[in-house]
Amino acid sequence: MRGTSSKVPAWRRTVFLPVGLLLFVLLPLLLLPLAAVFVFAFRGGPGAFLAALRNSDAQFALRFSLLMAFGTAAVNAVLGTFTAYVLSKYRFPGRQPLNIVVNLPVAIPTVVVGTSLLLLWGPIGLLGRLLEPVGLQPMFAPAGVLLAHLFVTFPYMLGAIKPLLDELEITYEEVAYTMGATRWQAFWYVILPALRNGLFTGALLTFAHSLGEFGATVLVSGNLRLRTQTAPLYIFAQFEAGNIANANAVAAVLALLSFVIFFFLLRYTGRPAWGRV
Amino acid sequence: MILKRQVLARHLTAMLPLLSVGALFLYALWPWLPFSPRGAEPRTVIFYGFSILGEVMTEAIFPAFQESWHRRTGQSVELISAFAGSGTITNQLIMGVPADVALLSLELDARRLSDARVIPPQSWRRLPHRGVVNRTPFIILVRPGNSENIRDFADLARPGIQVVHPDPLTSGGANWALIAEYGAALRNNPAQPGAGQDLLLGIWRNVVAQAASARAARTQFENGFGDALITYEQEVLWDRARGRLQAEIVYPHSTILSEHTLVVIERNVEPQERELVDAFVAFLWSEPAQRLFVTYGFRSMNERLNEANPSFGKIADPFLIDDLGGWERAKREIVDGIWKNHVLKELGQ
Repeated sequence: MRGTSSKVPAWRRTVFLPVGLLLFVLLPLLLLPLAAVFVFAFRGGPGAFLAALRNSDAQFALRFSLLMAFGTAAVNAVLGTFTAYVLSKYRFPGRQPLNIVVNLPVAIPTVVVGTSLLLLWGPIGLLGRLLEPVGLQPMFAPAGVLLAHLFVTFPYMLGAIKPLLDELEITYEEVAYTMGATRWQAFWYVILPALRNGLFTGALLTFAHSLGEFGATVLVSGNLRLRTQTAPLYIFAQFEAGNIANANAVAAVLALLSFVIFFFLLRYTGRPAWGRV
Repeated sequence: MILKRQVLARHLTAMLPLLSVGALFLYALWPWLPFSPRGAEPRTVIFYGFSILGEVMTEAIFPAFQESWHRRTGQSVELISAFAGSGTITNQLIMGVPADVALLSLELDARRLSDARVIPPQSWRRLPHRGVVNRTPFIILVRPGNSENIRDFADLARPGIQVVHPDPLTSGGANWALIAEYGAALRNNPAQPGAGQDLLLGIWRNVVAQAASARAARTQFENGFGDALITYEQEVLWDRARGRLQAEIVYPHSTILSEHTLVVIERNVEPQERELVDAFVAFLWSEPAQRLFVTYGFRSMNERLNEANPSFGKIADPFLIDDLGGWERAKREIVDGIWKNHVLKELGQ
């Protein structure tokens, strides 16, 4: 581009075609479906939209989904950082296979995750059978939903933190040790501050994925209204029952939330980071 | 002054994500916070129902029971529920969902539960009406104007007709629909023992969409799939009552009345909730509850109450599953023997 003379139409001609083509492809693929959710959500006017949202089932589903997302993000922030730290700082036999295993959840279909959780923790499952007499039953309860979300979103935190840890100059850490810092102090005062962006990105990605999780949740939750029904399950149930307005109101809220999350991601980290998993 | 404002603004932008996350968290947690308004922990009944029960239960039966229980005992009851295809619910019950009571679309699913030792064999038969809470006939739904001139099940086998049918593997309604088609063909052609199989073959050749539940099939039909849908009369009447029906009902000359079976999952009922669950079960057959079912388009077990709903269509020759020897035999001979082993094989599915 720099080599061409300063005639204005020159860049226009070269840019117009690919950009136009891209928009033409993206319009029906991404933009119009998103627009359709909002168009349908507000078709009955803002009053109907709010009424659909105020319904106690919808309120519960949204709140429950948010709590699950917060919980998942918090637990996986700690667990993911710890995993990344161990995998990045320690050398041990089986490190490479372990590295692959912890990243597997992105590749496994979520329905398979749900089934395997049921077959492990469910009342007829391998471990669930032992828990049943004690009166513990994680499946078909909020704990089951949390377990499923932790599993499904595990690699996101890891993916955001581990590259940063791998690239982090070892010298800072060594300086800390020569100054008499313990391993924990070195982690807390030297490494963790350097991971701030990664933690932020990882937590947001985990949150967003947990908020939208469907495949595993539908199996392990039992889909109980006012008990374990998450927002995506509510949307599906209402859509299937033909209450499209109710489904769309919640869908619009979820879509809006994910817009906000990605706005934050781009604004505060400068780039989307989901490709790094 | 300007500087100060800039600093303040920058602080605010930095705080914005934190504040919004805090606000979101507070919103999510609100109902569980100790100071938010909440009465004493209510007692609960967990109810699983097949797909078309969603509205009648949550809008009518549950509130009515809550009121009657409150009047009797002063306690509030919470009803937690889930609705899906009857087969799906049965599978969930076998997997161990904590339901106290479940209303299934057909007795066959209750039998599957007893085979899996979720409930004792035949336990539902000790309930009133052998466990049947209500009924509804199977009808054909066609596009407004009925331009294809569909008058009976036999017309669905005509070449070129597109039929939406729920999936018999997961939907109780689909099993009823199969039996309705088969039984009607036999009753209309008593001299031809092969009539039932021929009709099933003809209809299934025309099936263009299969959905997991009767409800989902209905949504597919509404979204423009197919010329005809075989479904519960109740589904359609309820929509017509609210002016939402954009289709026409065709009553076949002969069709089955589906019977919906209630099961109590004893092992999930805690001893202290026994009385509450029993009261709920008894309430379902009480006159107020049966009247509510009629309002929502179900046919009551009490014929007298059915007169209250003038929209119930006339069926010249209705029949019941017992006329075909009960579900066990119908499943073995018709659903598995004919539909699965002959019709599906012949169609190469």
